Amino acid sequence: MIDGDETYAILAEGVSKRYRSFTAVDRLNLGVRRGEVFCLLGPNGSGKTTFIRMLAGYLSPSAGRLLIAGHDVVRDGLAAKRKIGYVPESVPLYSHMRVGEFLRFMARLRQVPVAAVEAAVRRAAELLALGDVLRKPIRALSRGYRQRTALAQALVHDPEVLILDEPTNGLDPRQIMETRALIRSLAGRHTILMSSHILSEVEKTADRAGLLLDGKLLGVRSIAETPDLEGWFLSVT
Amino acid sequence: MNNLAVLFRKELHATFSSPIAYTVAAVFLLVLGYTFSLTLFATKIANLNYIFHQIYVLSILLVPVLTMRAFAEERRTDTLELLLTAPVREISIVLAKFFATLTLVLGMFAGSLAYVVVLGVYGDPDWGPLYSGYLAVALHAGLLVSIGLLMSSLTENQVVAAALSLGALLMLWFADSAAYLLPRPFDLFVINLSLIGHFKPTVGGSVFLSDVGYFVSISMLALFLTTRKLAER
Repeated sequence: MIDGDETYAILAEGVSKRYRSFTAVDRLNLGVRRGEVFCLLGPNGSGKTTFIRMLAGYLSPSAGRLLIAGHDVVRDGLAAKRKIGYVPESVPLYSHMRVGEFLRFMARLRQVPVAAVEAAVRRAAELLALGDVLRKPIRALSRGYRQRTALAQALVHDPEVLILDEPTNGLDPRQIMETRALIRSLAGRHTILMSSHILSEVEKTADRAGLLLDGKLLGVRSIAETPDLEGWFLSVT
Repeated sequence: MNNLAVLFRKELHATFSSPIAYTVAAVFLLVLGYTFSLTLFATKIANLNYIFHQIYVLSILLVPVLTMRAFAEERRTDTLELLLTAPVREISIVLAKFFATLTLVLGMFAGSLAYVVVLGVYGDPDWGPLYSGYLAVALHAGLLVSIGLLMSSLTENQVVAAALSLGALLMLWFADSAAYLLPRPFDLFVINLSLIGHFKPTVGGSVFLSDVGYFVSISMLALFLTTRKLAER
């Protein structure tokens, strides 16, 4: 645990990710305040997923420092990972498992004590309205239920920080609205960092947004104080 | 340790949820039973030496089919991202897959214990070579599974993983054949790499630390390299 500014649940200082001559994320500095919903906005290929994967501990930064709740994701990786719930863009799930079984597995993997696992699964299932499908095989779920199951596994251990990569990708309009409402309802209790390339989604979901382009963070704005997000987007890009 | 147990249970479940495990086990036991019956009726000798060599060959051909999914499938479906972003060490993920697959392979081998019972009831076998034979096939299984996992960690294509494993195992099997072409001391090195060269003495009842060390060290090296491959990102 590193002593730092308690205001931030996520702190990135000069973070870069390079693949030989290609720089996916370039000296990124960012602080996400505790309890806020922060959205990384940017077109496809702008470096959002690479940055998110570094936060989640899936990729290692080539340079810089990344802190989750005060834990360095490289030096203190396991402690940092205990603080996060993560839903990758591709919504990976174990198709051979049933929903309840998968949530129990993820709860145990995320180090929920054995005695608390059932309660944790019930709470996550209730939050995501998965009660009716807990005994259903994951391979039989619709896209919407798969997304909910992925969100449930990210929340099952009640993490401090929730990281969502394009959480509404591939959902129908009703499911998109439900997911946005869920994200808003989780704000405050959890710090949420999400990515999106849809301006209207950012406006309806986030407290602040950062614009990422070619791996560089071009600016950060409060949504409430930026009535013309589209204009800001166009002026910066 | 706790996470290893959680991952091991998940891997066991995945292994036994797949039709591949049952198909491979059925083929293995069918061929083995056929060979045992033929050998017993032809020779009337109460030993399993021939069967242990059958296990050696069959497992080289079949274990790559069992290990090919291990990491290749997790990469293809992106579930590896879930595992690697959970608070678990890479070595736990590797060991869970290793022990789960080894459990299945040893379970298949255990099917041959029926032949030991037959020999014990109707014949008078020499028990020493039987014990050392099972030690040899168990060590052999560990080596096959660990090399299979290493090859599976290199690709997201299961067929490529199986082909790489089979190629690596066949090269190890026939490593000593190249010794005649090499000058000293390289010929000795290549001879000592030979899989069959370390398997044969143990199956024959001569258990040497060097042979046991060969299987254990190659298995550990392969598991170490698999862990390094997972950590490299």
